[in-house]
Amino acid sequence: MDSPSPKPLYVPGQVPERRFSDEELVWTAEEQQRIDGWVAQYPTSDGAVMKVLWLAQEKFAWLPAEVIKFVAETLGLPYAKVFGVATFYTQYYKQEMGTWVLDVCTCFACQLCGGYDMLHYLEDQLGITKGETTEDGMFSIQEVECLGACGSAPMLQVTNGPYIHNLTAAKCDTLLAGLRAGKVPAFESVTLPQDEDDLGGNRRSDAEAVEAYQTPPVSETIE
Amino acid sequence: MEAPKINDGTTKAGDWRTYQRVLLPPVRDLHQIEVYEQHGGYSALRAVLNDGKFDPQGLGAHVKESGLRGRGGAAFNTGMKWSFMPPVDPDVPRFLCCNGDESEPGTFKDRQLFEYNPHLVIEGMVLGNFAITAKACYIYIRGEYASWIDHFQRAVDEAYAKGYIGENILGSGFSTDIVVHKGAGAYICGEETSLMESLEGKRGYPRVKPPFPAQKGIWGRPTTINNVETLACVPLIVNHGAEWFSSMGAERHPGPLLYGIAGHINKPGVYEFPTGMLISDLIDEVCGGMRGGKKFKALVPGGSSTPVLTAEQCVGATMDSDSLREAGSMLGTAGMLVMDEDTDMVAFLRRITHFYHHESCGQCTPCREGTGWLEKLVTRIDEGEGNMRDLDLLLDLCDQIEGRTICALADAAAWPVRWTIRRFRHEFEAKCKPAVFAGADLQGDGASGQLVPVV
Ligand SMILES: Cc1cc2nc3c(=O)[nH]c(=O)nc-3n(C[C@H](O)[C@H](O)[C@H](O)COP(=O)(O)O)c2cc1C
Ligand code: SF4
Ligand code: FES
Repeated sequence: MDSPSPKPLYVPGQVPERRFSDEELVWTAEEQQRIDGWVAQYPTSDGAVMKVLWLAQEKFAWLPAEVIKFVAETLGLPYAKVFGVATFYTQYYKQEMGTWVLDVCTCFACQLCGGYDMLHYLEDQLGITKGETTEDGMFSIQEVECLGACGSAPMLQVTNGPYIHNLTAAKCDTLLAGLRAGKVPAFESVTLPQDEDDLGGNRRSDAEAVEAYQTPPVSETIE
Repeated sequence: MEAPKINDGTTKAGDWRTYQRVLLPPVRDLHQIEVYEQHGGYSALRAVLNDGKFDPQGLGAHVKESGLRGRGGAAFNTGMKWSFMPPVDPDVPRFLCCNGDESEPGTFKDRQLFEYNPHLVIEGMVLGNFAITAKACYIYIRGEYASWIDHFQRAVDEAYAKGYIGENILGSGFSTDIVVHKGAGAYICGEETSLMESLEGKRGYPRVKPPFPAQKGIWGRPTTINNVETLACVPLIVNHGAEWFSSMGAERHPGPLLYGIAGHINKPGVYEFPTGMLISDLIDEVCGGMRGGKKFKALVPGGSSTPVLTAEQCVGATMDSDSLREAGSMLGTAGMLVMDEDTDMVAFLRRITHFYHHESCGQCTPCREGTGWLEKLVTRIDEGEGNMRDLDLLLDLCDQIEGRTICALADAAAWPVRWTIRRFRHEFEAKCKPAVFAGADLQGDGASGQLVPVV
């Protein structure tokens, strides 16, 4: 693995450094209602732990020890168990991340189509390397494994959310400018090649943006 | 007598140029429940639940007869898998899991179903629940598909509102639920037992089999796991009949198939055709040929773990399990990666070994350590620091890994290494340092001593 194992966030008997106050560590009535709904979906409350961790991450931006503890108490589970879950899955942030996390796919289809070129381009533009966060706290870059969009490689994902398909340097520039202005990219529907013939392109009239399949860019990195 | 050659260059997909799509039919806004209903949606469910077209065993037998084989990678007969469930005991709840983890590099077909035809998947899940008398179906979707999870959840809510899921479905007395579960980034959770652990709210460590999921699955209850595309085929089989299904595509691996094609081609994307398409038809005709008119060099036919094929091996081969076995690979998930003549196979393999090293869950020593060594050795070769004998060391490592672990991830990590080296050894050798012998008679004056290899 690239990074060393994360430092333990919380050692029993020690008081961890606090990031959130007790007043902040509460669920709103609406959130509590969603949690109760999730707990009802599984035979035991353990099943809901991943969903509650997702909710906690949306609310607190990442999962420091006290948030994990808060989730554990919400579900009546041992802290160690929730900590174990939070650290197993890569999408839960165990460190503070930038406002925008750029998950650049470099896995094999993206690699062949220039994923590393895009990664290095973004690194140059932001002056950081993968795994780092810019000083202003705006951007983090991560190199990730296949995101299931190999047909529109190279691609990236913004903060566990929207996919940006068929990346080029110009598209990266537009993306960065948009994110700096606080614009969350819209959901992009990628057309199916067969729909071009049968439907004349996009088949979802409710998709805000449509990206046609296109010949992948030529990679510079792998020759 | 020699067995007749399967890969004789004839397509098994029949008249595929006039093929009418059924999994992703060309209908605008099919993801909306009204549009889906207008196009015959949920009629399979009505036929089974209201008109009594099949009882649970009958549905299972019909699906078995259709020859539907799992689309998640192992290509196991789906009706047969359902028949492994123990007899119904009213006191023991049973479950279906729909596997939408889709993290195998090169695979991106299930995503299109979530986006464009979610109700077909839902209908298939309810029919699957009926066939195995399941209390609920948990659908596990990888966390990266956040937008698609929202789409799918919306479709599930619509179906609940219309009474296709929930209590007393369509007044038939049959009740069942669908729960959407969001993963959080772990390839290993696509493995069926790891998926079950993850659903139970644990770290995704695969379980030792036996007991198999049909005996002891989620929460210790009998469970069946099927891929998204597999379940999407079930309403089609009910509507059109097992015969229609089994007569489509390759004889022993029939039905419609979503081909996800990526890499150095002009028109990448997901295509729907019958199984048994000629690889050459797919590349040259369907995908508009190689990018920039380059030469076709190699193909990964079904996701990163399936052995890579050389262009020669692809000649005459079709996309079904028998043909690809003869060619020297597997169908896997039908996520094809096409490579052109400029591709560096060492750099390519290096990235794959990185993937498996990163995704190993770390339970078994051969996998946890072995995938790390695979990556280290291939990286060293790629950087020009490797030695010739590293190649044999790599093959030996593969021997030490394969079949010695709890789950198949370790095999999936070893196969690409073994077969890429076997089939493109010259490229690896070209990057390795030649063996140097200390004391070699480099001057050629006969004055040097013993020849001792130093590397
Ligand atoms: C490491 C590993 C990863 C897997 N990932 C997936 C996956 O992402 N999606 C999937 O449907 N099956 C995946 N499988 C296969 C499943 O274990 C299981 O065989 C499949 O979901 C069964 O469905 P099927 O019979 O419909 O094919 C994976 C298997 C292994 C060993
Ligand atoms: S083979 Fe690898 S991924 Fe599978 S259980 Fe063992 S260590 Fe985990
Ligand atoms: S390899 Fe990048 S999305 Fe699949």
